[in-house]
Amino acid sequence: MEEEEGRVRQLIEKATNTTASEVDPRLLKAIKSVVRYSDSELRIAAQTLMSLMKRNHSQVRYMSLLIIDELFMRSKLFRTLIVENLDQLLSFSMGFRKNMPLPAPPAVASRLHSKAIEFLEKWNASFGVHYRQLRLGFDYCKNNLRLQFPDIQGSAARIQQERREREIRTQEILHKKFETLKESFPLIKEEIQATVNEIGECLDIVSTKEEPVPLVPLDDEDGDEFRSREILQLRLASLKEAEKVHEDVDNKVLFDALRELYRLLVTRHLVSVQEWITVVVRVDVTDNRLRDSTLKELINIQNQIQLVKRKCEELVSALPTTAKHDLEEEEDIWEEGKIEPSDNGSLTTLRNQYENPSVPSTRGLKSMTAGCSIGESGGSKASNESDGETNTSRTKLLLEAPVMRWGPYLNNWGSNSGVLANQRGLDLESHWGRVDYDAVIPAEKIAEFNVQATVYKEEQVNIKPCHAPLSRGGLCQRRDLKVCPFHGPIIPRDGAGHPLDQNVSADGRTCGAETHVVKELAKQAVKNVRTRDREEIEKRINDKQSLKRAKLAKVREHNESVLREAALSSTSRSAAIAEDIDSTGTDKPSSRNKKETLAAMLRKKVTTKDRLSQRLLNARATDATVRQLRSDEGSCYREAFPNQW
Amino acid sequence: MWKEIEKRESGRVRPRSFANRVKSSRVASLQLSNHKDIVSPHKGSVNSLQVDLTEGRYLLSGASDASAAVYDVQQPQKLEGGGLIAKHKPIFVIDKQHEHRHKYAISSAIWYPIDTGLFVTGSYDHYIKVWDTNSTQAVMNFKMPGKVYSTSMSSLATSHMLIAAGTEDVQVRLCDIASGAFAHTLSGHRDGVMTVQWSNSSEYVLVTGGCDGAIRFWDIRRAGCFRVLDQSHSQLGRRPPLLERSAMTKVFVSCVVTCICILGSTSRSSSGGQNMSKATAVSRKSSHGNGAKHSGSNRISAKGSIKHRLHPGMLSSQDRATAHYGAVTGLKISEDGMYLFSAGSDSRLRLWDIESGCNTLVNFETVRLQTNKPIQLSVSEDSALVFVPCMTVVKAFDFWSGKTYFTFRGHYEYVNCCCYSALDQELYTGGNDRQILVWSPFISYEADEGTTRNEDSWSD
Repeated sequence: MEEEEGRVRQLIEKATNTTASEVDPRLLKAIKSVVRYSDSELRIAAQTLMSLMKRNHSQVRYMSLLIIDELFMRSKLFRTLIVENLDQLLSFSMGFRKNMPLPAPPAVASRLHSKAIEFLEKWNASFGVHYRQLRLGFDYCKNNLRLQFPDIQGSAARIQQERREREIRTQEILHKKFETLKESFPLIKEEIQATVNEIGECLDIVSTKEEPVPLVPLDDEDGDEFRSREILQLRLASLKEAEKVHEDVDNKVLFDALRELYRLLVTRHLVSVQEWITVVVRVDVTDNRLRDSTLKELINIQNQIQLVKRKCEELVSALPTTAKHDLEEEEDIWEEGKIEPSDNGSLTTLRNQYENPSVPSTRGLKSMTAGCSIGESGGSKASNESDGETNTSRTKLLLEAPVMRWGPYLNNWGSNSGVLANQRGLDLESHWGRVDYDAVIPAEKIAEFNVQATVYKEEQVNIKPCHAPLSRGGLCQRRDLKVCPFHGPIIPRDGAGHPLDQNVSADGRTCGAETHVVKELAKQAVKNVRTRDREEIEKRINDKQSLKRAKLAKVREHNESVLREAALSSTSRSAAIAEDIDSTGTDKPSSRNKKETLAAMLRKKVTTKDRLSQRLLNARATDATVRQLRSDEGSCYREAFPNQW
Repeated sequence: MWKEIEKRESGRVRPRSFANRVKSSRVASLQLSNHKDIVSPHKGSVNSLQVDLTEGRYLLSGASDASAAVYDVQQPQKLEGGGLIAKHKPIFVIDKQHEHRHKYAISSAIWYPIDTGLFVTGSYDHYIKVWDTNSTQAVMNFKMPGKVYSTSMSSLATSHMLIAAGTEDVQVRLCDIASGAFAHTLSGHRDGVMTVQWSNSSEYVLVTGGCDGAIRFWDIRRAGCFRVLDQSHSQLGRRPPLLERSAMTKVFVSCVVTCICILGSTSRSSSGGQNMSKATAVSRKSSHGNGAKHSGSNRISAKGSIKHRLHPGMLSSQDRATAHYGAVTGLKISEDGMYLFSAGSDSRLRLWDIESGCNTLVNFETVRLQTNKPIQLSVSEDSALVFVPCMTVVKAFDFWSGKTYFTFRGHYEYVNCCCYSALDQELYTGGNDRQILVWSPFISYEADEGTTRNEDSWSD
């Protein structure tokens, strides 16, 4: 019973003891569920929260205020309890009393202040009728302190009102438009119909005039001989062209008329019809039947126009494209699906069909290009997994290949011919001089010239940090070569700082047998042997570059695994916290860690400015500056008036 | 409750005691009223509150922004929130726009005790004004020598119409409404006078508390004060021990009684209450002129040597006695006029036995009081509770034990005044946060349908 009583207190303390900006939803839920079923717990919760509000830390106050709000909006008893001490709560959360300003982390304090104001307004709006204290507090903050309330409800209502007005206005406009449409609808319909008919007639004339070209079936499956893409495209284009009717002298007039009609149709009628459709869809009239019938007719007309348009485009090649572009821009979304495929869809599908048989060849080409590009070898390795065997040989070769610095000698890499020389020496850059074909520098000489001198460069040893777990949390960041003065020999460790024995053995695969034997020996000897092993490994790495690369890869892998483990471990810790919530056990080290972070929030951050000011504004520095300035002034004066002292 | 009524019906409980029981139970359930809501028009701290003495219906408030307002506390002007909140708006406001306005803060506003046709305001602009309630015009104007801290009118006066005024000045002045002039100037305080109170037992006795820490008793019929309360002069319990001092006090009381008899007869002879000025003139004459001296000497001769010590010309040691170690900021005399309750800037509350002039040594639980302003105290009608503004809260103390009964927490800044309405068992408090709060016996009002319900709403 005893621990039951204190449960909500523990939960609240845990929930407020974080640096997060939100209450942990699981904790909040736990608090709510505990408090919901027992009034005594609720009383305890109210007490605890009020005492937490007195805590001298804005973060704690902020978190408790959030919890208070959650409970306040839900429980009547909690409201009555809180309202009794509302003035205290407000003074602690807003800090309007001069002798009680909000405590330390100023950022959190300002957030607390604004949140408190927001909450007060919310509470007053929803429960002010029932609690005089709430109204009083709100009045006091509003009228006496002149705090700016966000006025959420008011602004929301205003926005709603504005939107309603706008809607009414648009409805009016739409009504007007609809009326005009109703009046002029038969006329327009007739007009459009006439245009469509004319186009149809024109098209009829055009198509009958021309001899129908014997159409080669577009989608012939037996086109295996067309391997090359260019040829394929050419063929497609020709087929397309063959369908179309070409303009010539005979049907020039016809085409002109057709073009004119097309433009009229597309730019005027189609656009207007679409406009009307939107009007009819959006207008809100009492007579729904009329609207529906109009809409139906409009859609019919639109479809008709679309049909005619497509026919025009299919049959006639030389239509004004600009108009088409305009049209495409203006069209609605649903229209695009209808028009776009007519141009591109057939072509792409065809191309796919033709390309399918030629897949292996292109892939070969791709791999060739990939092989050519040296620079992106790593990338190609990552991406191209299918061609495995070439890749592995290549990586093998790459492992063996020496790394050379870039230089002009790479231009004639591996050439055995001699090099011409002019009077200035080697003819490397300029060919403007006299050319003497006898003056040839033999290849051996050139090779001698190009002998690579290597300067000893110290190996960039990546000294790994010790990473032993520290008592106050975190890992030791000391970088020592072999032995950390505090934590002993440096051994690979995982994310939490525990030594990784099995990893070491995996690393030292070359000497796996040895370590295996050593493992069976006494535990004291293990470390020494391991360090020796590692020394050996390092020596070998120095010798063999290939091994080093392998090792590097290994290290990367290891790092990744470490990171993964760290991520996993962190989640497991949070899971552990969740378990704590259920079992109400206190997690001592974690809570202590958080405490520290809370304290850290209070500590003032030392900025560069602070350091500079500390350096510059101390007494000695200012004195020195003053002295300096005075002496400068004195010397100036003496220079200006040398005869006066 | 019903059982009580039944008992009262059958006569087993006296009507009066029944009423008292109901009243005390109501007082015990005082809390911030959600129903009654006084809309304060003041833009400064509320310094003074008083419910009128005749009907108990009109609340008068005076505030630091030189405004005074009257509210009807029985009849709300408007109902809000589905009938849940009754808004009591001011019937009228006298503010800076008024032609007879005060220039500076109003420190005290009191009703004329006989009816609600007049009220009096005292202000920091050195004026005391008497207002006609119905026409809201100032009908009289008294220029004081300094800031007016406190004004008072006797509720049982039949023979005078005097406003006692405590000001910055060391002298207490009595302003006569009937003549429009200063009737008396009572000198004796060594510093400004924070509070003045008329006695509830005698219409001629005035009690004043000054910034010098002295509480002085004045009989307005003669010069000088007749008693200075001394905090070291104490008694245990309600009654003074029956020593030889009792005989002395008895003599004093008899003297006062004879005095009253004489004066009563004179005023009765002069055609009743209408001719007040004459009555006051008589009293003035008796207290100022030769007559006073004469009667005093008469008394000395008649009643012997004990009388001598009680004369205004008291022993100088007695004259220097103090009641508080700072200014006396509040005074309140119990309903029966037997006890005096005082508050000082030394944050002490003291209860005095008026009859013996002794400190009763009631230990009021430690409080902090406002020090630089007079505070207005209030006493419940049966003198069971005393309401004291303590910084931001109002505390109700038991009169005899000094225990804190309730703490009324609602104001956001210092509370200056409180006023208990015996008719409704309601408490009105006003503070620096410009609000006038009503504390009434708890009654649960149910909201109509349609407004937001005040219930639990657990979503998960």
